[in-house]
Amino acid sequence: MSTNKIRVTVNNKVYEKEIDSRTLLVDFIREKLGLTGTHVGCDTTNCGACTVLLDGKPVKSCTVLAVQANGKTITTIEGLSHGKELHPLQKAFIDKNGLQCGYCTAGMIMMAHWIIRKNPEATRDEIREAISGNICRCTGYDSIVDSIQEASREMIPEEEEDLVTRQRGR
Amino acid sequence: MYPQSFEYISPRTLKDAVKFLKEHEGESKILAGGQSLIPILKMRFASFGYLVDIGGLQDLSYIKREGDSIRIGALTRTGEIEESQEIRMNNILLAEAASQVADSQVRNMGTVGGNCVHGDPGNDLPSVMLALDATYKLTGPDGSREVPASSFYKDSYSTDLGDAEILTEITVPVIEHGSGGAYVKHKRRSGDFSIAAVAAYVTINEMGNCGTARIAVTSIGPINFRSKEAEDFLIGKKLSDQNISKAVDLMVDSAEPAADPYGSVSFKKEILRLVGIEAISKATDRALGV
Amino acid sequence: MSTVEEIVQGKGKFVDDVVLPGMQHMAVVRSNYSRGRIVKLKGGYTFKDFPAYMASVGEGATEGEKGLIEPVLADKYVNYIGEPMAVVLGKDRYDAEDRTEDVEVEIEPLPPMMDPEKSLDSPPVYPFMKSNVYRKVVLGSDFRTDNFEIEIEGHFNNRRVATDPIETRGIVASYEKDLLTVWISTQSVHSIREGLAEILNMPQEKIRVIQADTGGAFGLKGGVYPEYALAAFLAIKTGKPVKWIENRHEHLMASRPGRGTSAYMKLYANKNGKILGMKGKVIVDSGAYSGGSGEFAARFVGMQMTGPYKIDNAYVEAYPVYTNKVVQGPYRGAGRPEAHFFIERMIDMLADKLKMDPVEVRLMNTVDKAFKSPLGMDVPPAKTFLEDAINKLSYRKLLKDKPGFAFFVLVPAFQPGETARVKIENGEVKVWLGGDAHGQRHDLFVKTLVNEGLGIDRNLVHLQLGDTAMLKDGIGSWGSRSAMVGGMAVHEACKKIKQAFTAKHGIYSSTALLQEGADEYVHWRGEGSMDSLGCNLVTCEVNSRGQVKVKECSAYYDVGRALTPEVVRGQIAGGMAQGIGQTLYEEIMYSEDGQLLTASIADAGVPIANQLPEYKVFLADTRSNLAIGAKGVGESPTIGVPIALSRAIENVTGVKIYETPIKQELLISTAKH
Repeated sequence: MSTNKIRVTVNNKVYEKEIDSRTLLVDFIREKLGLTGTHVGCDTTNCGACTVLLDGKPVKSCTVLAVQANGKTITTIEGLSHGKELHPLQKAFIDKNGLQCGYCTAGMIMMAHWIIRKNPEATRDEIREAISGNICRCTGYDSIVDSIQEASREMIPEEEEDLVTRQRGR
Repeated sequence: MYPQSFEYISPRTLKDAVKFLKEHEGESKILAGGQSLIPILKMRFASFGYLVDIGGLQDLSYIKREGDSIRIGALTRTGEIEESQEIRMNNILLAEAASQVADSQVRNMGTVGGNCVHGDPGNDLPSVMLALDATYKLTGPDGSREVPASSFYKDSYSTDLGDAEILTEITVPVIEHGSGGAYVKHKRRSGDFSIAAVAAYVTINEMGNCGTARIAVTSIGPINFRSKEAEDFLIGKKLSDQNISKAVDLMVDSAEPAADPYGSVSFKKEILRLVGIEAISKATDRALGV
Repeated sequence: MSTVEEIVQGKGKFVDDVVLPGMQHMAVVRSNYSRGRIVKLKGGYTFKDFPAYMASVGEGATEGEKGLIEPVLADKYVNYIGEPMAVVLGKDRYDAEDRTEDVEVEIEPLPPMMDPEKSLDSPPVYPFMKSNVYRKVVLGSDFRTDNFEIEIEGHFNNRRVATDPIETRGIVASYEKDLLTVWISTQSVHSIREGLAEILNMPQEKIRVIQADTGGAFGLKGGVYPEYALAAFLAIKTGKPVKWIENRHEHLMASRPGRGTSAYMKLYANKNGKILGMKGKVIVDSGAYSGGSGEFAARFVGMQMTGPYKIDNAYVEAYPVYTNKVVQGPYRGAGRPEAHFFIERMIDMLADKLKMDPVEVRLMNTVDKAFKSPLGMDVPPAKTFLEDAINKLSYRKLLKDKPGFAFFVLVPAFQPGETARVKIENGEVKVWLGGDAHGQRHDLFVKTLVNEGLGIDRNLVHLQLGDTAMLKDGIGSWGSRSAMVGGMAVHEACKKIKQAFTAKHGIYSSTALLQEGADEYVHWRGEGSMDSLGCNLVTCEVNSRGQVKVKECSAYYDVGRALTPEVVRGQIAGGMAQGIGQTLYEEIMYSEDGQLLTASIADAGVPIANQLPEYKVFLADTRSNLAIGAKGVGESPTIGVPIALSRAIENVTGVKIYETPIKQELLISTAKH
């Protein structure tokens, strides 16, 4: 068994942990850090339920080794609101019925966060294209698109960009 | 669905990485973005004693314009290629193909080098590199060598890359006025790989005919390949709908797709035909400045 | 249960989030042949350690044929790819997977029976059986057919589809002081308890089943699986908790899939389009063991095959057959989509033959009086509903776009009723429902009904996760019924509480009730039928590559009173996506020699956002005769959409559609814009 020490900033908190080399980032987040909001839904990098922000960019954490995140900044669903109140995306997904069972939701929201930062005026078709790496079995997606458009009206992209990419903990 | 154990090595320099590969030849594998390798490890289709992570070698990530060429560091993420103004302006074929690889999340981790180096005929960028007549810089213990993409791919998962070599840079041409390129991909169901995709690059000469044609194919047969039949037919002729169609027919006739759950041979050939026509037509329109 | 506010913050408690001290991880060694004789099996826990057999509980449960019940672990033979052969324990799931490689397995392959229609006509695979039919079903009465003007026949197939909720199956089992406690992603804690008790030969009182937040189910999680029994067995044997989380590959092999039903149909009519008789032969791809839903499906599909039409003569033979695949299970619709696909495609064929508008043929064959079909289905008054649907869905206006139209009866699983417990304590109201929610937002209708019944503020009302320790009995959340029957149970419990309070104090006060407290359990059962009607309209375009783009995708359903309209709309939207998925993309494919070809959720065809349209939902303005006014809804979209979409594709391409999924290959050569 081969282990490595890594240092990562997750939701603005710095962690130093020793882990098996083969630990997937999603398992590091869920089991080592106890942040179980990020989920695993498949084994072939398709479903996107495991999406987190790595240095501000969405990645599928089931297809990243935890060691690859050494020295980087991660934002998970738990860290989105940076405090007490719900983040506009979280509020919008509730208001617009963007979740039913909720299992794909964390990944969907983290993906949406990046989509809105990149293209706050995205059309419905552009949003659909952009979330094509995230599978939902419950909603049929139109309420997810509604939620993302609603959130985009409330989010300030530059502020959000700053929040997820600062404090790199190097 | 979890990898077997391996030792993880994180070299600080390219030189260290190459040295390690040499010393542990046959038991190590390069890890760049991991978007091809990690799925394979998770399925336990392969295992390695050592994973050598070059993902941290930031000086291998760049996009540099040099005259009529663009030099791209192999560790440049596919997503960066997709977004790069330099590449969108000057090599739309590459940007267009990059934007169709898998999904955004995968493109944020996966590297252009990784996509080119595995020898997986289902990967998109090798076809683009063939169509662009790109050059690969391979760095090993004895220094670097330049290899044309056209001679890099031998067989499925078998390339010219030595066991202790690393693909470090890819050089592509700027697509000049009077030339055009396009990538058209027909994805499988809702997955990321294609049933067929075509990278087309054409130039139009002073007589208004096809000067150069490079037509490369993804997901058909054991490797990404160029269709000599289509290219030879087009050169010197007008890039009319009729000629494009005839050229593509020649390409399809000699293509050998494998029947599998995603389609029969005849279906795949028909998809290849439609995708080929669309790609060459689009490249032609771009060459004409339409 | 976790509220949506908690879930969007990542504070849900799904089964994989359950962590117990000393917890081990279980991994399963599975057959990689569809059929074979076990030559060698060494390592891990095997049948000799746990010689138990499966129990059939939950949705679509039937008492299986003796000698054909699935062993929890394979004994001497394997009969489907993915069949559990041995289990191992590891300290984490990586370790557990490593240990599966230490189990030595040798199987002598035998020729598998993969095609259900071939199975029907083949000699029995099991030598002690007369045929490969588990239990033949006959419905209706046979009739002479020489006196009809028109006779048409068709052969249809809905291939097997994986349920594929984004959360796969999972369980955590713990055994302490004589009590087995199980946390599980489920639609019915009581079915799980019943099933485990039977398999483990334990009294139900010694088993507590607690629902974890459940990430989708669609029929997958209503019954018991070998892996659940194995986790429980190992928890008991080792004295330490055991967790098992299914991976997606396992899901595609060993989770019970739905559909997998074909039919030979004959329709008899007169020249004007009036249908006078229907005969059908149904074949259900039931899988390798008895006790799955195949035997139930045979009867249930057969029963619905006259649709909402007044067809006086009907006769169906239905055959659940043995195939070397995992046992069939219920998947959203569970026989309803199949039955209606068969009859509706025949209606369209009849319309084509008579050169009539298919909607006219439907109008001609419905009536405005409720009746019971010759096959035993209750059909509500249908004609006015159909006329309303045609208007609401703008059928005539959309004729230029060549729409496909579907008309069906939704038969909810009304009979068993449902249980509820309403407990008022510490100034708030806790509710347990016998059916466990997995995305349908039962919490909202519970708040509504308690507010209506007891005048208590919604914010004080909280739906709890299923827990057999807190609710003594229950049925399950499936079959398009939960709001309807679960709602009635809540309604009745509130009524009883209010009556008791008023009887005691002479006057009712919700404030006083909140202070005093109450605790009421009800098992509500209804009388009669709650069948309801639905229509779908779909238009589409098909490009030269044979790719289908759905344009209009609309529904007109009678859901009675929509207790929470936006949830109802959400349910319908999600169901329409699944209907489109089944029609265009989804299938679990095997090769002829029994290899599983569907290796990923992408291969399985679950649609993504850029493959789906925007939906239009219209709800009929009605109420049921239940006190709460609701009718069923959940499965309606999976019934109507495949029919309407198939017809739309036929209209646009000229290609006749008899099977789902519709392969792009079929549409590519004749695609029209």
